[in-house]
Amino acid sequence: MQKFLSCLLGVAVATSVYAADVVKAKKEGTANLYANITAIEPLMEAFSQSTGIKALYTRVSTAKYVSTVLTEHMAGKLQADLLQGPLPVLQILKDKGVIDTNYVSPLAAGYPDWAVKEAGIVQFAIEYVAPIYNTQLVKEADVPKSYADLADPKWKDKIVMPDPSSHATTISWLVGLKEAKVFENDDAWMAFLKGLSANKPMFVKSFSPTPAPVESGEKLIAISMPKYIITKPKSPLGWANVGPILGSPRGISVAKNAPHPEAARLLMDYWLSRDTMKTLASKVGEYVLTPGIYPPIAGMDKAQVIPIRELSDDEIKTWGNTFKQIFYAK
Amino acid sequence: MPQRGNLTLHLVVIVGFLTLCPVLMLLLGSFMEGFGEFNGLTVQKYVTAYTDPGLQEMFVNTLIFTLGSATVATTLALFLAYMNTRTNIPFKFAFKVISIVPMMIPHILFCVSWALLLNPSNGILNKLFMDLFGLENAPFNIYSLWGMIMVEGLLDLPIAYLILAPAMQSFDVSLEESSKVCGATNWKTLFRITLPVLRPAILAAIILVIVRSLASFAAPSVLGIPGRIYVLPTHIYRMISTGFSADYGQAAAIGMSALAASIVLIYLYRYLTSESSRYVTISGRGFKPSVIDLKQYKYPLFTLVGVLSFVLIVLPIIVLLYASFLPYIMVPSLKAFSMMSLQNWNEVLSDPISLLSLKNSLMLGIGGATLGVMLSILVAYVIVKVRTKLSGVLESLSFLSFSFPGIVVGVGFMWFFVQTPLYGTIWALLIGYIATYLPYGIRPMSSAFVQIHASLEESSRVSGAGAFTTMKRIVVPLLIPGIVSGWILMATMFVRELTLSVVLSRPGSEVLAVQILRFSEDGLWGQLSALGIIMIVISSTLVVVVTWIGNHFSGMNVKG
Repeated sequence: MQKFLSCLLGVAVATSVYAADVVKAKKEGTANLYANITAIEPLMEAFSQSTGIKALYTRVSTAKYVSTVLTEHMAGKLQADLLQGPLPVLQILKDKGVIDTNYVSPLAAGYPDWAVKEAGIVQFAIEYVAPIYNTQLVKEADVPKSYADLADPKWKDKIVMPDPSSHATTISWLVGLKEAKVFENDDAWMAFLKGLSANKPMFVKSFSPTPAPVESGEKLIAISMPKYIITKPKSPLGWANVGPILGSPRGISVAKNAPHPEAARLLMDYWLSRDTMKTLASKVGEYVLTPGIYPPIAGMDKAQVIPIRELSDDEIKTWGNTFKQIFYAK
Repeated sequence: MPQRGNLTLHLVVIVGFLTLCPVLMLLLGSFMEGFGEFNGLTVQKYVTAYTDPGLQEMFVNTLIFTLGSATVATTLALFLAYMNTRTNIPFKFAFKVISIVPMMIPHILFCVSWALLLNPSNGILNKLFMDLFGLENAPFNIYSLWGMIMVEGLLDLPIAYLILAPAMQSFDVSLEESSKVCGATNWKTLFRITLPVLRPAILAAIILVIVRSLASFAAPSVLGIPGRIYVLPTHIYRMISTGFSADYGQAAAIGMSALAASIVLIYLYRYLTSESSRYVTISGRGFKPSVIDLKQYKYPLFTLVGVLSFVLIVLPIIVLLYASFLPYIMVPSLKAFSMMSLQNWNEVLSDPISLLSLKNSLMLGIGGATLGVMLSILVAYVIVKVRTKLSGVLESLSFLSFSFPGIVVGVGFMWFFVQTPLYGTIWALLIGYIATYLPYGIRPMSSAFVQIHASLEESSRVSGAGAFTTMKRIVVPLLIPGIVSGWILMATMFVRELTLSVVLSRPGSEVLAVQILRFSEDGLWGQLSALGIIMIVISSTLVVVVTWIGNHFSGMNVKG
């Protein structure tokens, strides 16, 4: 894969597909990406090999992303050239003047209009949330067919999910189910929440610890991300198609005062290329927004994946309190 | 004593600079309206933080959790330290290493291991008990307050052990013999002589464990959140993770209560050990640490210590080793054994970032612990032997960064280092580690200092030696058990340090714990376990080498 990517990027650079100034970028020598995404090291390595520009990957957890970037930005020491994260994070950074709103990558043209409508931010993927289950312990007939099935008492003490009172993406997802009219009406949505709560799901701090209890059989179902089926290929994980899949858009932007601006643009173009997206889908399980490319998960190409409305931090806190009253009721 | 006064002042400046800067940044942040902007002061963050309706329950949980962990850690450490230093129990070196092992394991892995053993759904030990005794329900639930206390107590056991063991090692057994000659029973001697003389070390151990558990995140997040039990660090985590733009000012406001509690504990400790001469056991009259013959209790006690060590410490490591050969986490079965391979090990050992992390962590462990111990000797000397008001200030300063919950203090260091050219370099990590974990060096050293009589130093001075020469020729050699303990605590901590590293580490300055977090976030438990085992091997090697060097020098002193 790496060789293929290198060749492809080499050809692309040679034929000046990219808007970025390749010569200048090479002189800058380095491009630093701030992100929190799984298994992208081979992509960065391929970029380095084909361009001679060292691609650095600084992994910053979502909870610390805004504070880290803003601290560096305010001190005039932002080390990031390229910023990648959930859309609300990039919107906060854009409001603070951290993002370059002038650069428009020519590669952005291949994305849906709604994904490129915001200056300086290209939404390239959706962090999709759906139930995953242990394929060895859950019979095919028992796999949930709808969201309401997760509230069935037969799943009592058998579900793991991120804490719905504090995990921002889970809060947004639960609100998204209401706003996307996945349920007949708000009463049905509330009944689902109460039923899920009655099943006493085990809470963890985020999505990343959700697959392990399912793999080990400690729990049977997780409200999680189907991409783990790709990143953990040997695990007995399947996903339950319970209806429209909702998720938060992920975006990418060039930093306004990037230490290596041309290298940043070149890396941005590379990131948004069709081949990079193919790799993200096939190796990382990302649901990318390039038309016609899907993660190789059975049925995902037919699934309806919807980006949810991004909630403000105040909304997240308010809804977090509401969910706390429902899920922590004694 | 102008020299002592100067030394105290210099140390107050150095330690103050190291620990005050991040804490002041946090204090400032807790009163500022916006993030990092000086656009007005407010107390709103305190009002919001301290009027949270869940606060009372969280504080009660935190109190039970910290006191419980300190009780478990100190009781176990007292027992193990007594057996290992004062009796003729067999294989004591192995038990010593085992007592320190939890310090070397990435805490998150240790907690996950216990979850695999004692979760109520399919915990390996729970299943075993259910099968053995025909039980319908799992007898244990690790996702509970007692489960958190047990695991945190075990994780903090090395801290208590490494403070108590040097004190026991230099205990003058003639005090106990005198008691017995006067007709006291063994129990009476234990409670009237042994434990009171060890009071400074016991209190130091309890206080350090309380402060550490107050800042601990692994057990509260891995075991507490699934059990819906929130303590201070997870309460803070909930506060900063609810939304994308974390309010670290509000988190710092609530963190101030941990800081206040720590300062109160330090002054309480100083008050309770104010008559330090009562605890002196090494004086100019000579001391003789001797070994007690356990006689007919030797093998029953050996079995007890062996079983305790196996169940509490070795078993979770076996679980880690087992997981490191598996493609994903599964309970032991024929299928699981048939799927075992070296793939995780190969991937870790061929990953350039993992190898760079190993190198950096080793450098930080050895270099940082050596520098940290050098500073700790001087600080402990001033705290114990000078005992002026300024030395009390110094002691409080040394605890400042240590007392803050890790997820908050890391941000304080980031706010501080970003103003310096060190930001993003490995030197920021080195300074941050020493500043935060200084109590790990100071506590064992203080316990050892307390037991050295002033007459030894006075004799040296009367003979014409200066303060530095006295320190080098008289005090330091007698401190070797404390130095070894402090070095081990610091080095093993630095090798697995996460809270500062995750904020300050950048490409090129990656360390082991950050790499472990990366594997954890990607759910790669096999690779995570393999790297954890490598971490344990590295730390164990450091412990064995340093203990050997310590024994070598102690032997030389005895001969000399």
